Amino acid sequence: MAKKILIVEDDKVLSDLLGKKLKDAGFEVALAYNGVEGLDSLRANKPDLILLDIMMPEKSGMEVMEEMNKDPETSLTKIPVIIISNSGQPVEIDRVLELGAKDYLIKAEFNPQEVVEKVIKQIGN
Amino acid sequence: MEITNPTPEQNKIAVLLDDLASLESYARDLFSFLPLPVCLVSSIGIILETNPALEKISGYSIEEIIGNPLEKILSKLDTKQLIKETLEKGSVPSQEIILTTKDKKKVYVSASTLLRKNEQGEIIGFFIGLFELTTIKENEEELRKSQSALLNMLEDVEEEKRKAEEEESRTSAVITHLTDGLLVFDSQNNLSLINPPAEKLLGINSDQAYNKSLDELAAFIDNFKPLLKVLGKNIKEVSRQELVIGELTIEVSSASIGTSQKDHGGSLVIIHDITREKGIERMKTEFVSIAAHQLRTPLSAVKWALSLLMEGDVGELSAEQKSFISKSYDSNERMIILINDLLDVARIEEGRYLYKLVSAKLENLAQAAISACREIAAKRNIRLEYIKPEKEMPEIMIDGEKITMTIQNLIENAIKYTPPGGQVTVSVKYDTNKATVSVKDNGVGVSQEQQNRLFTKFFRASNVMRMETDGTGLGLFIAKNIIEAHGGKIWCESKENEGSTFSFSLPINH
Repeated sequence: MAKKILIVEDDKVLSDLLGKKLKDAGFEVALAYNGVEGLDSLRANKPDLILLDIMMPEKSGMEVMEEMNKDPETSLTKIPVIIISNSGQPVEIDRVLELGAKDYLIKAEFNPQEVVEKVIKQIGN
Repeated sequence: MEITNPTPEQNKIAVLLDDLASLESYARDLFSFLPLPVCLVSSIGIILETNPALEKISGYSIEEIIGNPLEKILSKLDTKQLIKETLEKGSVPSQEIILTTKDKKKVYVSASTLLRKNEQGEIIGFFIGLFELTTIKENEEELRKSQSALLNMLEDVEEEKRKAEEEESRTSAVITHLTDGLLVFDSQNNLSLINPPAEKLLGINSDQAYNKSLDELAAFIDNFKPLLKVLGKNIKEVSRQELVIGELTIEVSSASIGTSQKDHGGSLVIIHDITREKGIERMKTEFVSIAAHQLRTPLSAVKWALSLLMEGDVGELSAEQKSFISKSYDSNERMIILINDLLDVARIEEGRYLYKLVSAKLENLAQAAISACREIAAKRNIRLEYIKPEKEMPEIMIDGEKITMTIQNLIENAIKYTPPGGQVTVSVKYDTNKATVSVKDNGVGVSQEQQNRLFTKFFRASNVMRMETDGTGLGLFIAKNIIEAHGGKIWCESKENEGSTFSFSLPINH
């Protein structure tokens, strides 16, 4: 059975491109366009990994992670999270790693292919 | 006839004669004793008698004077006038005339006359008394001179006073209307002057502040606390120290007013409000930071879309299509690098360029940077050489990632600005207290006058601008900030058309 990836990213072009690349690599992909949708989707779909943006409307990626950690079923120790952000601020990186994120990718510095590789490194395929 | 028994009349006459003789002698004595020149003159102006005082004033002896007309010593006109008036009125009270001495000197005198008549009432002449005025005149002149000198002096004093007042009011106007705050502390370090902007900036009324030292002021006004911290109780000299007072950011400078080292005449403290500049600077940095973030997202989308196309994820491309896509991808990459550099600069300026210090070997970082550059060096046909340190390097505490980035930046520059076939040499040297990395090339070099501007933001040397438009002018600025944040130094030695050597050194703390 294909592994499920949830992409929480407000930029539709980016999530479409990444979604296509992941689907081509054999993953099942769900898309959410803000933090609230992301939380709903992850509770409903129980993904194997989440690619999470930080700066988003409704709820930020930080808030999503904080809420995930409140519920043992969805805590970051259970569902691996890779941050895809464009800020790259050291304080932000420190904070997300502290919350339990597995990796931090600056979108402008990675290709979709490299993102796929990071995903495979975390959960295999 | 022999008089043996004089009659009482005869006795009386004898007594009278005696009296007369003694009176005459009295008059003569008085006449000659009198310090006032006096003459007895006949009604036609011949001097009949005079006294030694006239000798003294005129220079003539009594013999030379007596029997001569009055014109001998007085002018004709004065003489005529005097005689005429005396005869008509009986006397002339002090009239100012000029006496000419034997040696032709003019002497101012005041002349008074009195008509003399005999018992029959016939005019027999007149007395003339002369009172010398020269001394008085001289004194008067002297007095007039000193009076005018005094007046001049008074005027000068008045002028000086006016000037001083003007100067004072000018200085006070300058001090009052300065936009900067100004405080003056006296030799005992007590506040002796504070201008309105300083009162406003520090939130104090001058009346409460005078004659207090900085620590006394800090004790009851919080705004003085940061000032005390920077300046100390004895007001040491500082230059443009930035500090925050309440909601304001100010720049403090202080200077000693004393004329010499020993003589502490007090201190001058200048407070410059830079709150607005700081705000603008922050807004600018925020703008750059936000703009860069906002730019990174669409640039990522372009990057991702192009890379999907290039990798054939949406169908095979022809060689020509691939080439165009690849070029677009490279341009986009350049844009991303520029945005990243701008973000780094914004972070440096915001003071948010954090450093993660780890224990690392500089040699390893240099080798990592060289490996990262091998490909482009080969592409441009540049030989890239590495010279190992002679001694083994100790590990030092540095931000490995940023130092690697710095070395890489220097190597990339060297490759970029060296013509194909050239050589770039990276060497690492190690002294007892510092480690130095040098990147030497035989490229285009930098002119002498532009060398010191190399490390400033957005600067690009003119020869480099001509040969290649690519480059942000930020790399060396960022490199300099990274090295200096480590307590190190970065510099460049270069000769145009011969090559450059960029080096930096980092301190080693054992």
